[in-house]
Amino acid sequence: MTSLLEVRNLYLYYADRQGDVRAVDGVSFTLEEGGQALAIVGESGCGKSSLAMAIMRMLPDNVARFEGEVLLEGRELLSLPEPVFRQEIRWRRMALVPQGAMNALNPVMRVGEQIIEPLLVSGGAEHRIARARAEALLEQVGLAAEVYHRFPHELSGGMKQRTMIASALIMSPRLVLLDEPTSALDVSVQAQINNLLKRLKWELGIAILLVTHDIAVASDVCDELAVMYAGELVERGSAEKVLTTPVHPYTQKLLASIPRLHADRKPEFIPGAPPDLRNPPAGCRFHPRCPYVMERCRHEPPPIVYPEVGHQVRCWLPGKQIVGHPEEKRS
Amino acid sequence: MRLRETWRGLWQSWAGKGGVGLLVLFLAAAIYVLVTYPADFGSRWWSNPAAWADNPKAAPPAWTNLWRREPWVKHLVFEARAPSQVLETANGPMSVYRFPLSHPYPGPPTFLALTLGEVTYARQPPLITVSLGRPDGRSLRLYRHMPPGPRPGEGPPFRRYHESPLRVRLSTEATTVAAVQQFLAAEFGLQVSERELLGRVDQALFGVPEREGEGVRFRSLPGDYEVVVQVSFSDRGDELGLVRFVLGGAVFGVMGTDDLGRDLAQGLLFGLPVALAIGLGAATFSTAIGATLGLLSGYAGGRTDLLIQRLADIVANVPLLPLLIFLLFIVGSNLFLIILILVAFSWPGLTILVRSMVLQMRAGQLVEAIQSLGASRWRIMFRHILPQVAPYLLAQWVFTVPSAILAEAGVSFLGLGDPSIPTWGQILEQGFRTGGVYVGYWWWVVPPGILIALTGVAFMLLALGLEPVINPRLRRIG
Amino acid sequence: MSLLRPLVARAITLAAVFLAVLLILVVALGLTGFSERVLAATVGEQLRIERATLAQTIRDPEELERALEARRRELYTFYGLDRPWTARLPQTLLRVLSLDLGEARTLRSFKGSNRVADIILERLPNSVLLLTTALVITAAIGLAVGVILATRPGSRLDQALSGLAAVSHALPTWWVGILLILILAVRLRLFPSGGMYSTPPPTEPHLRVLDLCLHALLPVLTLVLVNVGPYIYVVRTITLNVAREDHVAMARAKGLPESRVRSHHILRVAAPPIVTGLVLGLAGTLSGSILVETVFHWQGMGRLYYEAVLGTPDEAVIVALTFLYTLLYVVARLILEILYVFLDPRVRYAD
Repeated sequence: MTSLLEVRNLYLYYADRQGDVRAVDGVSFTLEEGGQALAIVGESGCGKSSLAMAIMRMLPDNVARFEGEVLLEGRELLSLPEPVFRQEIRWRRMALVPQGAMNALNPVMRVGEQIIEPLLVSGGAEHRIARARAEALLEQVGLAAEVYHRFPHELSGGMKQRTMIASALIMSPRLVLLDEPTSALDVSVQAQINNLLKRLKWELGIAILLVTHDIAVASDVCDELAVMYAGELVERGSAEKVLTTPVHPYTQKLLASIPRLHADRKPEFIPGAPPDLRNPPAGCRFHPRCPYVMERCRHEPPPIVYPEVGHQVRCWLPGKQIVGHPEEKRS
Repeated sequence: MRLRETWRGLWQSWAGKGGVGLLVLFLAAAIYVLVTYPADFGSRWWSNPAAWADNPKAAPPAWTNLWRREPWVKHLVFEARAPSQVLETANGPMSVYRFPLSHPYPGPPTFLALTLGEVTYARQPPLITVSLGRPDGRSLRLYRHMPPGPRPGEGPPFRRYHESPLRVRLSTEATTVAAVQQFLAAEFGLQVSERELLGRVDQALFGVPEREGEGVRFRSLPGDYEVVVQVSFSDRGDELGLVRFVLGGAVFGVMGTDDLGRDLAQGLLFGLPVALAIGLGAATFSTAIGATLGLLSGYAGGRTDLLIQRLADIVANVPLLPLLIFLLFIVGSNLFLIILILVAFSWPGLTILVRSMVLQMRAGQLVEAIQSLGASRWRIMFRHILPQVAPYLLAQWVFTVPSAILAEAGVSFLGLGDPSIPTWGQILEQGFRTGGVYVGYWWWVVPPGILIALTGVAFMLLALGLEPVINPRLRRIG
Repeated sequence: MSLLRPLVARAITLAAVFLAVLLILVVALGLTGFSERVLAATVGEQLRIERATLAQTIRDPEELERALEARRRELYTFYGLDRPWTARLPQTLLRVLSLDLGEARTLRSFKGSNRVADIILERLPNSVLLLTTALVITAAIGLAVGVILATRPGSRLDQALSGLAAVSHALPTWWVGILLILILAVRLRLFPSGGMYSTPPPTEPHLRVLDLCLHALLPVLTLVLVNVGPYIYVVRTITLNVAREDHVAMARAKGLPESRVRSHHILRVAAPPIVTGLVLGLAGTLSGSILVETVFHWQGMGRLYYEAVLGTPDEAVIVALTFLYTLLYVVARLILEILYVFLDPRVRYAD
């Protein structure tokens, strides 16, 4: 059975006066099936937003390198000409809830009109039917149907975020990418959005790719977790495994830096600063900040190893263990 | 210092460099004018017809000859305070003034004029004779004159033509016409009536006559001519201080003349510091007022804010030109009044802008921090907020200068300019009102506009050059 | 209902502008003693006429003088000259507001009336014609070209037009008009050099209209040439800024065709500030039209200003014109503000 989403060796570099910014530097992962949520977790500037944008082919003007393969339901997307991608993939198969939903809404258009716009224009649907669907979606995300008639400036942050989610679902895509869906919201609203996402996952069976720096959100909503550092994925596995038994030193540090209510120890900070993506460190990119750094780490980029089934990590540490073991496919 | 950054940023672009370059040029020219021209140039020279009597009327600039197949006559002025020769005759000393000239043109000068000044004599006035020597060897006496003799009650030395020199337009002078008639009869055997010679005296003097049917035609005689002025004094010690002989040209000077014969180069040059004064004055004061009110309004808040806002709103919506016309009309036009009115109606835009920037900054933390340190209101406003706002103030200021210059030019064009100080707008007004446009006097109406535009362009280039410098700033505050 | 609130606020401000200008007019007239002089002159005129008629009935010179003196006192009281100008203020204001604008001294309307209101009203349509034509053409070109430029920022065309816009701002509109007359009318003889119709004007209606268009071409061209540059630049900059906003990228991400993104998400959002730009340019175009009418002998209100100033000065006309131009400006401004409120929903609910 083909995976729902398969990313192979994705590269996205931005051109900058002082050198190319290597935002996505050879990322590969798969998302097996619908009804699952994968979180891409990392600090700001690690390239996770760029990863989402790359998959959605929402690129800025200063792209220096963009290559790789993105297969959605077995169909390669990056090689599609833009008109084909636009008519067949965008919003139909794959949708995005962007970071900063506040500005992603057209200020002079009513919210409802914005939601149904793709349906009317590309889908050729009748206005009446589209509107009914939009109102149903609004209710599904927890908003009153009459929000349809509102302008964006009349809505609160949380309401706008929910609107964006409803908007993403309008053409029933298989995959929804969310970029920091709750960063700008209060904690209580965060919880509501998290619950909404879980519900949509179960009720609609959509696959979710959630990009966030907030591990708490990731752990709450997602089944699988991938950790990104300096443009690379450094650890990937089920949420349970990665959170309870992190293998990569960065993941460990990341988890240790979360303040916990009932723990005895204080949160630790990761020493040093995230690397400059224009000039990442040689060898393992984390080596300047790694407490277990070995001589090998400074010169040779580590391979991907599988400490256990369904759990991969890019590190020299578990080198003594299993190497190159293909992961068992879930049935 | 932010200003230094601004300067460096300005210097980076073409526009910035161009603007600064032009501006330096203008300032240099303005300083030159301020130093060399008298302050009452307007009333004493420009509006005084006597000062321009010897200039050709409505003559295009001399360089237009560059593209003429047959060049037009250039304007020639001979002026001497000392004679070329002094002879001793039986009757007394004689001063001779020789003015050689070469006349290669296919046409005659447009007029001939003689000016005599500062005559002093002990007993009898001197006798002054003017004659013209032609390239064909012929010569004739053009004019003869003796200043008025001693009057009853006057004592020696007798002074004539000191305060107001004698000016004679030989081309229309009766005795000269008669002399030409005699000359034509004697040298060419032609009887030409006074009526036929009307307006063609210069042609006759600088040409060779030919019979044409009933009348006479003059073929141009190019070559070397000489004007000789002989002054016979009766006593040593008698003097003639000034002799000026003018051969009127068809072209004149760098910028030509207007219909009154005024040298447009001088008028236009004088207009430069005036225009700069208007622009810089109006811009500076309105920027200062606008910024201060904006700072006050944004910082003080409350009723002050409301009051200033309403006032700015109202003033901003008043149409400037109609009101300017009205006020100048009933109060009488005056340069300072013009600047005053311009300032009075230009400040609101800046106030509204500065106010919103101040509000944004107050919402930030910097101001709060300084306030908590106990700084006074005014200190905060001027030492901390103002520098942040300064680059934008500069941009507004630069933008206002051309508007002010244009506004003044506009009212001057309508005839409401300050009559004692010539401005570019007034020159344009005269050119238009007298119909110069419709007869094609382009050198009269095109250059003032170009100068107005150039001055404005200099500042607009500065504004363009400033744009990249201030924009990142705006984004930082906003 | 909430549409009205911001509109009412704007309307009040503009009414205040209008009254403020009126106040300035009347106060200036009073303060400088101008109104005194004018009224005294009017009284003088009247007395002179009455002297002639009275002299026919009253033979005794002393009695004549006494009668005239009494008459003068009467007239003074009638015109309020025996009181300071501040007392005359409310009456004057009311007169002006009720459009009783008095009589002109030398100027006459086309039909011969010397009532200022008649003179001005005759010429008003001419000015409005010129202004609206120029404004509409400027806005159309500005929008079209500005949007095209916004799709290719930094290109040579963009730089050239930005430079042109900067230069346009420094050009006196009326001088450009003079230039056009010099080149196109005097030298090349392609167009008439002024006036609204040829002399004698054609009698047939369609020929008349054509003649009018021919004469209107140069003045409209002048107004458009000078104002279009900055306007293109404003449209371009605003459109560029809007095009960079997040909701535009979002619209593209949704798979909407580029044409729809352009119309609904860029232009529609850029419309309110562009309209503001039009408003800001309005004052300039108005002043420009006064001078352009003068240059082209276009029989509108602007040209009337020139004639009133130049001829034996006709103060009544000048005052009335200033008043009317302010009114015109205020009304045009209000229309554009209404347009803005319709275009930008964010304004409607603001307090």
